Amino acid sequence: MNTAAAPRTTGTPRLHRPADLGEAVRFLADNPGAVPVAGGTDLLIDRRLGRITTDCMVDISHLDISGIERDGDHLRIGATTTIRTIETSTELAVSAPALLEAARVLGSIQIRNMATLGGNLCHATPSAEMPPPLLVFDAEATIVSSSGWRTIELAQLFTGPGETSLQPGELLTGVTAHVGDGIGSCYIRQTVRWAMDLAGVGVAASVRIEPETNGIVSSVRVALAAVNPVPTVVEGLDSIVVGKTLDADVLDEAAALARRSASPISDARGTAQYRRHVVGVLTARALRVCTARAANTWPPNRAVPPNGFDPELLVDSGVTR
Amino acid sequence: MRLEVTINGDPYRPNIDPAATVLQVLRDDLGLTGTKWGCLTGDCGACTVIVDGRTIVACLQLAAQVDGANITTVEGLAGRGNTMSDLQDAFVRHGAAQCGFCTPGMIVAAEQLVRDGIEPDEQAIREGLSGNLCRCTGYNKIVDAVVEVASRR
Amino acid sequence: MSVTENTRQGESDRNRVVGRRIPKLDAAEKVTGSTVYIDDMRIAGVLTAAIKRSPHAHARIVSIDTTEAEALPGVHAVIHAGNADQRPFGYGNDNEPLKRSKVRCIGDEVAAVAAVDDEVAKLAIELIDVTYDLLPEVDDPFAAMSADAPTIHDELDIDGNIAMRWDFETGDLAAAEARSAVIVEGRYSSPQAAPAPIETHAVIADFDPTGHLRVISPVHMVFMYRKALADCLGLDWQRITVQQPPVGGSFGGKIDIDTHDFITVMLARAAQRPVKLVMTREEEFVGSRTRQPIHFKLRTGADADGMITFRDAEVVSDNGAYNAWGSHAMLVAMNTVTSLYKIPASRMSCAVVYTNKNYGGSVRGFGNPQATFAVEQQTEELADALGIDPMQFRLQNANKANETTTQGLKITTCGLSDCIEAVRDKSGWNRRRGKQRGRFRGMGAATYIHVGGGARIYGSDGCGAMIKIDDSGQVALISGSSELGQGSETVLAMIVAEELGVGVDVVSVTHNDTDVKPWDVGVHASRTTFVAGNAARLAARGARTKLLAAAAEVLDVPVTKLDLRDGMIIHDGDRDTAMPYTKAIRRSLLREHSSIVMSTAFYDPPTEKQDEGYIGNISATYGFGAHVAEVEVDPETGMIQLINLWAAHDVGRAINPMSCEGQIEGGAVMGIGLALSEELPVTDGRFLAPNLHDYGMPTAVDAPRIDVTLVETIDPLGPYGAKGIGEGGIICPPAAIANAVADAIGIRPRQYPMRPWKVVDWIKREERSTVIDRRGAASS
Repeated sequence: MNTAAAPRTTGTPRLHRPADLGEAVRFLADNPGAVPVAGGTDLLIDRRLGRITTDCMVDISHLDISGIERDGDHLRIGATTTIRTIETSTELAVSAPALLEAARVLGSIQIRNMATLGGNLCHATPSAEMPPPLLVFDAEATIVSSSGWRTIELAQLFTGPGETSLQPGELLTGVTAHVGDGIGSCYIRQTVRWAMDLAGVGVAASVRIEPETNGIVSSVRVALAAVNPVPTVVEGLDSIVVGKTLDADVLDEAAALARRSASPISDARGTAQYRRHVVGVLTARALRVCTARAANTWPPNRAVPPNGFDPELLVDSGVTR
Repeated sequence: MRLEVTINGDPYRPNIDPAATVLQVLRDDLGLTGTKWGCLTGDCGACTVIVDGRTIVACLQLAAQVDGANITTVEGLAGRGNTMSDLQDAFVRHGAAQCGFCTPGMIVAAEQLVRDGIEPDEQAIREGLSGNLCRCTGYNKIVDAVVEVASRR
Repeated sequence: MSVTENTRQGESDRNRVVGRRIPKLDAAEKVTGSTVYIDDMRIAGVLTAAIKRSPHAHARIVSIDTTEAEALPGVHAVIHAGNADQRPFGYGNDNEPLKRSKVRCIGDEVAAVAAVDDEVAKLAIELIDVTYDLLPEVDDPFAAMSADAPTIHDELDIDGNIAMRWDFETGDLAAAEARSAVIVEGRYSSPQAAPAPIETHAVIADFDPTGHLRVISPVHMVFMYRKALADCLGLDWQRITVQQPPVGGSFGGKIDIDTHDFITVMLARAAQRPVKLVMTREEEFVGSRTRQPIHFKLRTGADADGMITFRDAEVVSDNGAYNAWGSHAMLVAMNTVTSLYKIPASRMSCAVVYTNKNYGGSVRGFGNPQATFAVEQQTEELADALGIDPMQFRLQNANKANETTTQGLKITTCGLSDCIEAVRDKSGWNRRRGKQRGRFRGMGAATYIHVGGGARIYGSDGCGAMIKIDDSGQVALISGSSELGQGSETVLAMIVAEELGVGVDVVSVTHNDTDVKPWDVGVHASRTTFVAGNAARLAARGARTKLLAAAAEVLDVPVTKLDLRDGMIIHDGDRDTAMPYTKAIRRSLLREHSSIVMSTAFYDPPTEKQDEGYIGNISATYGFGAHVAEVEVDPETGMIQLINLWAAHDVGRAINPMSCEGQIEGGAVMGIGLALSEELPVTDGRFLAPNLHDYGMPTAVDAPRIDVTLVETIDPLGPYGAKGIGEGGIICPPAAIANAVADAIGIRPRQYPMRPWKVVDWIKREERSTVIDRRGAASS
């Protein structure tokens, strides 16, 4: 008997293993308390610590809702695609490096082999890595239930810490991101440790540069993790950035706007004031990287540091003495 | 429920609790206590095992989901005899184990990195092993052992 | 370096084992997963224990209702202060296993159950109903010292919440201050941290039908543990056996008895069945001992020539709710304040203050990382204020061999200067320190002094050893010491093999059962290689004498003509007629009037119990070392990347260089964790993050490769010249990294861990120490 390793509750646990998606949604409809489980990396902790008390789980890990597929400017990623698959995707390395960079810093290889995109989204942790890079690609979420399919903007999925807009009986099956040529993206974050840490602040960005315009931005997105109850798209950036080149003044304005979009709390991973400050720092850094990628001036094999820090850019900037 | 798995080359058919983790099945049901646990939150990596060619943390993996899988634990790294693999031997020679509690998970994680053809590059190996906490060694000697085997195999 | 037995001519030729990189004796079983730790043991009929802990930091216990828990099928025992036979324990008897009237921190034990399995035990704990009357709580030691603070131990006759004081003064401080050219003043703090071994605490207790108690525990002050069990629980200590299976790391966390040990034994007594307790990781953080926060207000002066004139430290130690070992860490902190470098005058006034928090235990380094963080930052601040290179400043103030410090520490050998020069040269200090600020890179150094030859904190500082050689020729060492994973059993086996003249492969080491092994204080204070090593060496020397005598008898030659090398008995230097020692053993045994070789020794180092003013030579030798850290600081996010760490340590003699490196590398990475990330943040007495993802233990990418230099000074009293090295590695990193951060961005870290938001805050406030330059006008 292993004393401490036993995640048990007083009821008799059940694990239903539906043969296909149809059976899964019928089971969810008939068992409103049932919880879908794919990788289990969040769910099993929640169960052991009593945050989730259900004894009924539905295994969706083997259902046909995984994989990465590019169709024109549509990039579809199935809900049970593992984070490791995203991290190692050659398609994403080209079309959406922000997603790959977010995946790469999530947990360990072991965790990434187990954890799924859908699990990361539906667990709705404010600091989760995967929502921001999807939000900057205007992703939509596809949801199925016994009464049919629906599609929502991904941002609408998140309603609070640990809370989503999924109704009882509904299952997230995947997301569709909108990618395309001329878009540069990245994901950077602030942490205490350089691995195995949750973000104190996470920032994803995407920038589209109009071809042959010498750096005029035609669209821009910034999304934030860990600084609001839900992953947040910074609203109002277009009026600051679009139609301009990203010079220091524009970056400052964008950073200031991002800071105003953050209402962080103070906890074990930083004070509210500090996090708001870092939102601005990382936003400016992320936009710089995105611009270089969009303009194809970022060397393809040059990795972005996890926090986007480039000492060369700060020299003589008067940041510190 | 009945689970059918291959562990270290041998077939097992334990009757398991549907909510049991791979860790519980290995340690409590099958007595394979080589696999350790240190946190039950996936943070320490002490319970790392290989399932169908990928490392996982056994503490967060429902056993029912690996029905039919091929599992390798620390007990199976050297085949079925009471010997040591080249990686285990390198850990011994380099002094890569002190208290030994993280070692089974660490060595299983390193084994899969080597099988996946990781370059014998210190930084790559450090990143690959960052999910396995070691409190004793400071990692130098673990990295040395893995670099040696990654460059030899 | 004095010529002694350890450095006698030709010894380096004789050494066949000492100095070799020999893998740990247990390495093969550890890499194959066959080592059996406590939670791996399967014991027939064992019950599972669970503890009901206080969710409140300070409250009066009004009532405990266990009716429902007792009625639950599968529950075999429910205990609480009302039905348990227990007495107070701890320094000053301020603690009891199950709290009777009050809880004083979150995690305090109020009741416990033994049940048929984990599920039932946890449910029973839920069913115990405790009613509390909440009391005002205080989690800050400075607030706890104020007149209107709630009293945490109203039952004790003490001054408010001050648990104890440690006050030391030597030399003429006023005169020293008057002749100082520069004085630096600053405050330095450290957090609540945890030893956090990967194996959590576990213990098994079992009374046999005659009432003899067997406890299976990872404890490593095992004889004191046995006495404490007997004293607290009213047991006969002659009828207690403590067994120590392999330990999955301790770092001091498992050193001594703790509340859960008593509770497990009480449950076994109540249930009349074997009982096993295994802590979860969350419980480990909340309910086992931590490294206590220490707050230093330090002033250091130097004269115009760059010689240190005085140190003056006001120290507040945030003890937590009870006195465990942590209350005594001031002893070690004091050594650093008074004796790191030549300090003519020093003062340390220290209050150990109760707070409503988890309480401080013994953790590797024991007060020294905290003290060195303050002392060694001021070393570089002073040097910079005087315009002297900090390494030069250190060298001219460095301790030397054959000196006695003002606290009475007798330094026999001292490799401090060698260590400083080693890390200075390897790191490129002269080219790089102070010259990389434009790239946000910096370099900093720190040095240390630490006990390395025992530490007399108890009547005896000794350790016993026994050797038997049986008919196969296998040499069994039975040591009083304990193996925690640090490799001491391998080092002891090497010493025995070297002394006897046999291969290390024929030596076994037993050290895990109080019924078998001779007495020892325990594994603490980096003492095992030195004290247990000397005991083993003496026992081996006795065995060698007996073996040669037996050989002389069977060969009928004078014993003075015999030598034993490489397992062969050599007569008169003639290797051709050499005989395996095993043959001599058997010929001496298999006859009438037979005999066999057995030998015992007890070694108590020539250490002194310090007097009431804390003067005295607490250790038989002292370890020294120096580190240089190189960092890159992101000044906008405050994230620090440690790029390099060079470490040079005076190990006396590296009996097993691989093992020495392992201790230093592992200690250094623990120190890096302290410096940059590890913390149990507390708000209102509550841990915000009792788990491994928030705690911040360094991963393989948080630590760089540690570059280790071993400096050998051949201690006259150490076995083959060795000093203790178990704690040295952890001491310098917080100070060295803080100095590197200061070099990189020009601000002065005030506390560790230097988590990013603190760095940004220091930059914003332009944090610097007060520097009083008495050569001209004062500046700050």
